[in-house]
Amino acid sequence: MTRLRPLEAATPSRARTPASTRWKAHLRRFGPAYLLILPAVLGMLFVHYIPMLSGIMVAFRDVNLYTVTQWTSAPWVGLQNFIDGFDPAGRLGARFWRSLWNVTLFGVVTIVLGYVIGMAVALLLNRPFPGRNLVRGLILLPYITPDSVAYSVWRFIFQARIGLVNKWLLGWGLVEEPIIWLVGSRALYAVMIAALWKGWPFAALILGAGLQSIPKELYEAARIDGAGRWQQFRYIVLPLLAPISRTLILMSVLWNYNAFNQFYVMLGKDPGWAADVPSTLIHRESFTTFDFGVGAAMSLALMAIMLIFTAIYLRAVRRGSSLAEG
Amino acid sequence: MATRSNTQPRRRQRLRRALGWVLFSGAVALVLLSVLIPYGWMVSGSFKTSLELQGADVTQPGREPSWIPRSFTWENYLNVNRTVPMLDYFKNSLIISSGTMVLATLLAFLAGYALSRFRFPGREAYVVSVLSTQMLPGILFLIPYFILFTWINHRFGIQLRNTYPGLILTYTSFALPFSIVMLWSFLDTIPKELDEQAQIDGASRLRTLFSVILPLARPGLAAVGIYAFIMGWNEILFASVLTGRGTRTVAVGLLEYITAQEAHWTGMMAASVLVSLPVVVLFTLMQRAIIDGLVAGATKG
Repeated sequence: MTRLRPLEAATPSRARTPASTRWKAHLRRFGPAYLLILPAVLGMLFVHYIPMLSGIMVAFRDVNLYTVTQWTSAPWVGLQNFIDGFDPAGRLGARFWRSLWNVTLFGVVTIVLGYVIGMAVALLLNRPFPGRNLVRGLILLPYITPDSVAYSVWRFIFQARIGLVNKWLLGWGLVEEPIIWLVGSRALYAVMIAALWKGWPFAALILGAGLQSIPKELYEAARIDGAGRWQQFRYIVLPLLAPISRTLILMSVLWNYNAFNQFYVMLGKDPGWAADVPSTLIHRESFTTFDFGVGAAMSLALMAIMLIFTAIYLRAVRRGSSLAEG
Repeated sequence: MATRSNTQPRRRQRLRRALGWVLFSGAVALVLLSVLIPYGWMVSGSFKTSLELQGADVTQPGREPSWIPRSFTWENYLNVNRTVPMLDYFKNSLIISSGTMVLATLLAFLAGYALSRFRFPGREAYVVSVLSTQMLPGILFLIPYFILFTWINHRFGIQLRNTYPGLILTYTSFALPFSIVMLWSFLDTIPKELDEQAQIDGASRLRTLFSVILPLARPGLAAVGIYAFIMGWNEILFASVLTGRGTRTVAVGLLEYITAQEAHWTGMMAASVLVSLPVVVLFTLMQRAIIDGLVAGATKG
């Protein structure tokens, strides 16, 4: 309540009334609001905020399978967990940096291609034709299919001897020998293809909604002025979709560093050196090796990256919505 | 001459339009095909016999995996519970997802109403914290959360890991940010005059909330409820750590068809069809509302 003081001081009539009365008036006015958000706040406090704070403490302690039940008194190790986690010369540190590189590469490819395909399909479906609603519903299928189902099916599709991809590649004579897709460096590309299949419909959905909010008159005016399709796209669609595109891409960047499901389902607990991502590495370090301290230290590093992106994201959303409102 | 020069461009225009139509339909067909092929392969695999599927080999002509099962069978669906206790996992998922649905909808309704109707001090900060929580990935707090569960169990004897309430609480909190924003937008569309009128008529805040606003907010509540249900049904990361034998959900249970020793692809494909059905049906029912909410969630600020 201390934060309210300046506001109250600014209104002299209120300043004269006794503090307890003012407090009561505030309570009567806003009390219900605080009561209403309380359950949600408690839930998020317990699941999100308290763990996030205690995660910082875990990162400085040697918390393992034996010390986990009394983690608050686990031995303090200072920066050792961070050294283990990030020293590029160490086994684990090398893996961490490689996983960060892998997930970045994965993100650049899937986000850029996902945006391009999403935009193309959104433009394609922006003109009316019979059955458009059905088509729009069908292209959302990948987005709504549970991750475990979708990526299990793609794991099946990429199988070397019984998979669809190799059946086609061999059938068309593009390769001589069946390709081992899900082991080694190719695994990352296989996951990229699957994630792209699952990811572009969301971009198409958001961009499609943006396209529909562009007034038809703008295109007409442009056509009268002699603008072709490309010019209409370049000078109407792209600038008007810029705010929503910025939000979409930043959101995708955040989700990208979170990528876990596609790798875990398609490649298992250990996707291998060339396809490991931070999430699978942290997961393994914590729940297979049971070195919670190092896992927490790596999570913190990831959190720092995410916070930077979140700050950018929030600023972009602010700017985006104020632009949309005019 | 005059007629000739007149019909020529018209015919050419018609030809161009026909060509454009063919190209357009071709492009739509291509998009649909690339979306649907994996589903086709999944369904086809689910009707093959294990013998046919595991015996297939892309290198041997005549033994390549085929689109149409050579010997069609329902066995994989009938025996879906044999290698993996999938029916138990369905029950677990149903309980956890339904619990999440009810709790998340209720809490988000209350919080969304507060955001829509009150300009309380700290509101801005609350909105920012909700929006940024939505952006923070699960792996960040999975470890401390797991440790917290272990510690609570050790300290107070309350088991949260491997229990329904523990998972419902977890997923409710995951579903909250998006649900709150979605219901907040929805409640904003219900006129404030209704609340004031009800209060003039002598109804309490709580009474207004539940007997005036709630019925009007039903479409929004349904969308949020289904979103929360789907969230609980699909979640993998926390389920892989916090569930045990008795509470495993379908999303992680599905992976058990493939072990280091054996790969039951046909069973996995049949189970995949069954696992995705509820989600697809629910989403189709509420498509409009959820899409509006998704678009709002991506642009609200």
